[in-house]
Amino acid sequence: MKLVDKFTLWFIGVIVVTTPITSYICLNNIERKIDDVEIARLKTVNIKAAARMTDGSSVNIPRDASFTTFTSLPVLPADSFRIRKDPDPDGNHKSLESRLTVSTFMTINGKAYEVTTSSYVPASRQILNAILDTVAWKLLLIIICVAVSARFLSQHILHTLRLTMKKIHNFDLKKKITFPQTNTTEFKELNTFLKKMTDQAVEEYTAVKQFSENASHELQTPLAVIRGKLELLSETNIDECQATLLADMHHAIEKLSKINRSLILLSKMENNEFAVTEHIKFCRVAKDVLAAYEDRLEMKNIEVKRELDKNIQLRIHPVLADMLMNNLLGNAIRHNVQDGMIHIILKQQKLVIKNTGLPPETPPEELFERFRKSNQCSDSVGLGLAIVKQICEVCDFKVSYRYKAPLHILQVDFCPESVINEAEQDKFETAAVVTA
Amino acid sequence: MKVLVVEDSKEIASSIHDFLFREGYICELAYSFDEAQEKLLLYSYDCVLLDIMLPDGNGLELLKFMKEQGIQSGVLIISAKDAMDDKIRGLEGGGDDYITKPFHLPELHARLRAIYRRKKLSGSNIITFNEITLNTDTLEASINGLLLDITRKEFDLLLYLVVNKNRVLSRQSIATHLWGDYTDNLANFDFVYQHIKNLRKKISAANGADYIDTVYGLGYKFNASKV
Repeated sequence: MKLVDKFTLWFIGVIVVTTPITSYICLNNIERKIDDVEIARLKTVNIKAAARMTDGSSVNIPRDASFTTFTSLPVLPADSFRIRKDPDPDGNHKSLESRLTVSTFMTINGKAYEVTTSSYVPASRQILNAILDTVAWKLLLIIICVAVSARFLSQHILHTLRLTMKKIHNFDLKKKITFPQTNTTEFKELNTFLKKMTDQAVEEYTAVKQFSENASHELQTPLAVIRGKLELLSETNIDECQATLLADMHHAIEKLSKINRSLILLSKMENNEFAVTEHIKFCRVAKDVLAAYEDRLEMKNIEVKRELDKNIQLRIHPVLADMLMNNLLGNAIRHNVQDGMIHIILKQQKLVIKNTGLPPETPPEELFERFRKSNQCSDSVGLGLAIVKQICEVCDFKVSYRYKAPLHILQVDFCPESVINEAEQDKFETAAVVTA
Repeated sequence: MKVLVVEDSKEIASSIHDFLFREGYICELAYSFDEAQEKLLLYSYDCVLLDIMLPDGNGLELLKFMKEQGIQSGVLIISAKDAMDDKIRGLEGGGDDYITKPFHLPELHARLRAIYRRKKLSGSNIITFNEITLNTDTLEASINGLLLDITRKEFDLLLYLVVNKNRVLSRQSIATHLWGDYTDNLANFDFVYQHIKNLRKKISAANGADYIDTVYGLGYKFNASKV
C-alpha cells in the first residue's frame, strides 16, 4: 500500500471516530442553548403576567402567544420556579416539538400563586436530523478533499524521496551518485546516510578491484622469473628425483599463471574493457575453435555432431566470442569420457552444447561460481564457467547449465527479444528491397 | 645471432641471457629505455626482445624510434599485458611477434628463430638437421628426402623440438606452443604424449633416428647427439 493511501486512510479513520462525538456535543449544546433562551423568555412572561395581574389588567397580552395560567396555592414552595420539559406533548411519539413549561411561584396581592407558561421548542430528534445531514455532507467533502489533496501533496512532498529511490535503484558499484536537494529534514538525513553508504561501497569496491588488478599484473613478472629459472634448472644435470620435483613445480606454475590470466580477464570484463562495437560472425568463431580442438577430439575419440547455422551475427567482442567458445568446448572435451559424444547446436537465438560425461557432484548452477568445480577433475582451475557467465553478462546473454542423464547441457541464449527483433527487421528490409 | 634484450626485470633478462647464451647467441641486456636507445644507435642487432613496460618509457616508443632511425632488427615484443589492443598496436608499430609474460623460454626462442629466419635469412624456409628437413612454408617434413605424412600439429611439434634441440622441453611448454590460447581449459599432458608418440612412430617408420627422449616425468628432449 502506498504511503499516501495509508495516511489518507488513517486520517479518514480519525474523522469517522471523532465525528459522532462532536455531533453529540453539538446536539447537546444547541438544545441547551435553545432551552435556556426559551426558559428565560418564559420567566419574563410569567413575571410580566404577574405584574399585570397585580395591576388588575388583563392577564394575557395579545402579542404574546403563550398562554399563562394562574393557580393559587395554599403555601408558597421553597423554590421560586419549576421547569418541566415534555418531549412528547402529542403523546404519539411523533411530536415535532417539545413542550417547555415554566412555573414561577410568587405572592400576588398577598396570595400564593403558581404562574405557569408553556412554549414549544424544536424536538431534539429534529435537531439531530439536521446535524446528521450536515455531518454527512461534511464527511463526504472532507474525504474527497483529503483523498485528492493527499495525492497532489504527495506528488510534491515525496518527489525527492521518489528521486532518491530511483537513484538507489539504478545504483552501480562502479560510480558514485549524487542525491537531489531537499528541504525536508527526514529526506535530508536519508540522503546523507545513503550518500555515505554508497560512496563507501564505491570506494571499497574500487579498492578491491584495483588490488586484484594490480596483484594480477604484478604477479606476471615474478611468475615469468620463476618459470624461466625453472626451465634453466631443468637443463642442468638432474636426476630422476629432481626431475619429478621440477615437473611438479612446472605444473604448479602453469596452474598459477592460468588462474592469474583468468582473473585478469575477469577484472577486465568487469571494467568493461571489452566494449562491443560491432557484430561478428559467431558461426565462424565456432568453426575456428572446433578446428583448434580437432586433434584432441580425435584422441579422445569423441564423436561431434554439428548443427551450425550459417551467417549468425552477434554483438560480442571477438576476444570474448573466442573465449566463450573455447571455454565451453574445452569443458565439453575435458569432462567427457573416452569415446564420448558432443552435440553442438548453433542457431540465431541460442548456442547449445550437449556432452556425455560423469554425473555432476555439485548442483550444476553452482559451477558458475568462481573456483567452484566438480571434483572429477582437480586439474582444472575452476574459473572456466565463471568466465563464461561473466562474458554472458557483458553481452546480455543468458547462460544455463543442466544435467539430463547422460548429457550435460549448456545453453546460451543470445538475448532472445532483441535478436528476434533484428531478424524481423532484416526480413522486413529484405522484403522492402525485393518490392522496390 | 646477436640479440638485444630490453627488459627492466633483471631476473628475467638474466634468464633469457643464460638461455640464449647456451644457444651460442650474442646476447646483450638493456634495463631501461635510455640504455636500449643508446645500444641500438651504437651497435646493430639481428633481433630485439622488447618489454613494453619500461621504467622510463614505453616500448612502443622505442619501436617508433627504431623505425625513424631505420634500424632493421627483428622485434619480439614481451608484455605483461595480455590485452588485444596492445598486441595489435605492438604489431602495427613494427613488432614482428608478440609474447606475453609468463612465457616459456623455449617458446621465446622458437619465436625468435622464426623472426630471424624471416628477416635475416631473407625468408629462408628450410631447416635441416641431419636427415630431417623441415619446410616452414609448405609445412612439409621429410627424412632422407622422403616426405613424412604428418599433421600440422605434429609438424609444429617437430619444428619446436628441432629449434630447441638438446633442451628439456616441459610438457606445459609444448602444450602452450601447440595450442596457445586453447590450453587454458585442458589437462594437456595426455595430448602432448599422444602427439610425441605418433611423431616418433612416423619418424622411425621413415627410418629416421629416434631423437626424442623422455626426460623422466618432466618433459621431452630432442637429443641431437643420438645417431
